[in-house]
Amino acid sequence: MRSGCSLIPKTAFKRYFEGMEIKRGTYPLARRGLNFRLADDLNFKNSACRFYLRGGNGFGKTSFLEKIIIPALKEDKVPYIYIGQDIRTQLYTLRALLSVQGIKVSDNDEVELLKLWIKKSRSATVFILDEFDKYFPDYGFIFDWSNAFIRTYIIVTHLGEGRSDALSAKYQTCNVRFDLTDFDGHIKNISVKKE
Amino acid sequence: MVLLKLGIIFTLILSFFWLFVFGPFYDHIAIQLAVFIGVLGWNTLRFSLQETTSLLKFCFPFVFTLFIFGLIFHFTRLFGRQDWLADSLIKCLVFPSSLVYLKVVLSYITYLDIINLPISMKKRVDLITIKSAFSKGEKILRRFSWYLNTYPELKSGSNIKYALKKYACLIIALYLYLYEEIENSNRLLRNRYQHLNEANK
Repeated sequence: MRSGCSLIPKTAFKRYFEGMEIKRGTYPLARRGLNFRLADDLNFKNSACRFYLRGGNGFGKTSFLEKIIIPALKEDKVPYIYIGQDIRTQLYTLRALLSVQGIKVSDNDEVELLKLWIKKSRSATVFILDEFDKYFPDYGFIFDWSNAFIRTYIIVTHLGEGRSDALSAKYQTCNVRFDLTDFDGHIKNISVKKE
Repeated sequence: MVLLKLGIIFTLILSFFWLFVFGPFYDHIAIQLAVFIGVLGWNTLRFSLQETTSLLKFCFPFVFTLFIFGLIFHFTRLFGRQDWLADSLIKCLVFPSSLVYLKVVLSYITYLDIINLPISMKKRVDLITIKSAFSKGEKILRRFSWYLNTYPELKSGSNIKYALKKYACLIIALYLYLYEEIENSNRLLRNRYQHLNEANK
């Protein structure tokens, strides 16, 4: 499988991802039939922030995460935690990962498993959640477990901001909107802008 | 008709193993290389180049370990044998060839073939479950690998250590997935069959 990095030229990476900032510009993902037009810079190194990525189904929010944001984090060696949309699939790999690390996981349910993993990942500074609220509508527990060490949350959601709590004061909120501008039958042009 | 088809498929499998794995062409490295290329080509035509590449990537750590052990045994002249290297090279070709060959040939057995088999419904359900679980497992492998690449904690240590840990995780995850998937699919199929039966009565 080709990685996201290979979809965007290396030179483009250097230009776009300096200092964990995704610069405004065009990000083509032809293999996924998407072309993102990012209207504003996205800076993930700012002070504590929660980014909410919103937009209709099929507008490439997950592709943007997996092919642009995550490769950028890897490139910058920023430790992160990512919980994907297909969490049921991911849980198998988490069980395997924790077992290899010598942790007994056989009796744990999925929430316990996530808690164990997050506790073990204290070096991470970015936490990415892709439609996690689909499985856990009230996912405040994720913040409770991780806000001591996470600076930036990137959350793909179709819902509101989640519970309004003490964290709202700690984390600045940034809404990022994905909109379809046109579709030529093959490629969807998606505008990505801060609200 | 279905029995004839399955008969041909199993004859092809047995012939392959008889000729190239346990039989007369096992130690002909040129033939093994040709078989390896042929089988990969067949897999590419049947599925895709991406599919073939990911299968090879999956086999690589096993093949590499086999080769390294062969090399060590060769230079230490284990049991006085001097053919360890040649033997390892052959095994490095035979292992992926047989795996890919089995996968390609078995992919010609369809769900319809299983339904048409003159066996009891219980056995049919078992066969359908196995086929469905393995074809899902094959697709899920790439996604597992992708997730494992997102876990920075796996990357501590050398590249070899990382690769070994990643493949250990991949195998455990696949095993857990297949175990659960087989159990769930089997339960679901039996349940559907039972309710259909009751509805018919």
